[in-house]
Amino acid sequence: MDRDTSLRPPPDRTLAARRATDRLAGHFFWVISLSPIALVLVIIVALGWRARSILAVKPLSELLTGDVWKPIAGQFGFAPFIVGTVWVTLTTMIIAVPICVLCALYLSEYARPRLRGMMKPLLDILAAIPSVIYGVWGLLAIVPVVQSAVAPALEQLLGFIPLFHSKNPTGFSVFSAGLVLAVMVTPVIVAVTYEVLQTVPHGLREASLAMGATRWQTIKHVVLPKALPGVIAAIVLGFSRAFGETIAVMMVVGNVPQMPRSIFDAAYPLPALIANNYGEMMSIPLYDAALMGAALILLLVVLGFNLLAVLALRQAARRAI
Amino acid sequence: MPQQIRRWIVTLMGIALIVPLIAACGGQPAAQPQSGELQGTITASGAFALYPMMVKWGEEYQKLHPGVQFDISAGGAGKGMTDALGGQVDIGMVSREIRPEEEKQGAYWVSVVKDAVFPAVNEKNPVLNDLLSQGVSREKFADLFITGKIKTWGQLVGRPEVTDQIHVYTRSDAAGAPETWAKYLGKKQEDLLGIGVFGDPGIAEAVAKDPLGIGYNNLGYAYDAASGKPVSGLVVLPVDANNSGKAEADEVLETKAEAIAAVASGKYPSPPARALNLVTKGKPSGLLQDFILWTMTEGQKFVDSAGYIALPQDLLNEGLQKTK
Repeated sequence: MDRDTSLRPPPDRTLAARRATDRLAGHFFWVISLSPIALVLVIIVALGWRARSILAVKPLSELLTGDVWKPIAGQFGFAPFIVGTVWVTLTTMIIAVPICVLCALYLSEYARPRLRGMMKPLLDILAAIPSVIYGVWGLLAIVPVVQSAVAPALEQLLGFIPLFHSKNPTGFSVFSAGLVLAVMVTPVIVAVTYEVLQTVPHGLREASLAMGATRWQTIKHVVLPKALPGVIAAIVLGFSRAFGETIAVMMVVGNVPQMPRSIFDAAYPLPALIANNYGEMMSIPLYDAALMGAALILLLVVLGFNLLAVLALRQAARRAI
Repeated sequence: MPQQIRRWIVTLMGIALIVPLIAACGGQPAAQPQSGELQGTITASGAFALYPMMVKWGEEYQKLHPGVQFDISAGGAGKGMTDALGGQVDIGMVSREIRPEEEKQGAYWVSVVKDAVFPAVNEKNPVLNDLLSQGVSREKFADLFITGKIKTWGQLVGRPEVTDQIHVYTRSDAAGAPETWAKYLGKKQEDLLGIGVFGDPGIAEAVAKDPLGIGYNNLGYAYDAASGKPVSGLVVLPVDANNSGKAEADEVLETKAEAIAAVASGKYPSPPARALNLVTKGKPSGLLQDFILWTMTEGQKFVDSAGYIALPQDLLNEGLQKTK
């Protein structure tokens, strides 16, 4: 069948009918693309609904600032978990961000295509490893090393700073969790940063190099400023991943509901709280409401950070044009 | 009109892809006995303590009824309870007592077998010989796990010159072993001190790697199934049940056989010895009922070889009455 006949409207269908079909299809696709967003809203409402019974008994401020977690005794303080999450996430980012950004810069600006072609699949493999395997690796390899080598060494060198001084003699700590998570977020941050750097027009680099600037000067004064919002978005995406990661963190962080004072203290992040105690939901009054509340807090924070990342990425795309 | 046909084909393919997906999300059909031979799938999740027993029972039951499939996973008693009540599995394995709140929500349970939770230390412990000769009393365990009054291994065995700190490990996940261990000390899991490690294998691993560590494990994870000795790197602590300040011969549990004998004879205190339960949502029927009845009758043959302790017959009869 040649092209002309296939484009010609079938004789039995009027223009109005065809337009109606078109409109119908449009509406249908609109509903389909809207459903994921609606799903998020449904989850938020459902979590809020399930959490309402605890909000009815305890004011939100008391839940957020209380630091005792004894559900059977009726005490639900989320503060240690929120603070624990922040500690673990910040430690992760401090370890991961410099390494990831420099790695992406190297891949984008210095590396030869062959090396680049080898590195990218390797990073994709890192991203594809299930998190429970990272957890086991942390348990077997990271925790003992932190306990016997890293913690004592840093304590001796920098023990006068409270951040590095700990009474926790085991390797189960914020620092171990941060190390494991840093490896886990690396592929995300490197991949997105690399893509963002690739959006910087080649003409800019060529102009800078033509002016006699070195490669590093070009990166510092031309490429990075141009790509900065995108790099920030990549970091925020990694941040959300670290914030919400559950099983790998849970296996190495120590799970003690306390306010950490040092990176070698044990902590208890929010996702671990939910995963660990999911089993008690049915049996202790208000427990399921409290856990749903914790899930709601987690979801809202991650959602907020993702939104920030999207906005920053959009900014980056606009600047790059 | 090939274009329209093509569009229809694409739509049909889409439906063909989506329908099985939706069907797969709809949950497994209830296991029901068909005419004559039993058929269906039994799913179970929960206590690490019951997992090996359940796997054994599953294998043996399948030999009798080849049409029955088993899907068993371990994840702690709490998960078993929640999964069973939430309808994700047919049977929840729960290694602690069932709470009234859970019964109110439809938890229907029977005790099928017995085991115990054992305190364990690292084999390179600095005061290992004192521990093995003295044993540790309930009060001292409470000072370790609840109040935190005892901080060093020297304090625990009365040798103040030993100042090595005690590294207390506990379970992070809601489970039967910590609940039973806490009950022995007169408290709840949330009152236990220590670094929280996920899962039974996790806590065994942590103590086996830390010379100053102490933790507690189910029978099946404290002792190696093949050799009958404690898991490599671990030593099971004698519990000084009679407060004599000495570990008598029957309190030192060097092999799994000795541990089983101590639990069976009642020499080992209860808790930490405990009954292990199967939970269903509502009274079981059909295939499920048949299987649970089987575990309490024929299935009891495999209890010894799987390394568990049989319940007294009157308790089993009680369960049979309840299930029939």
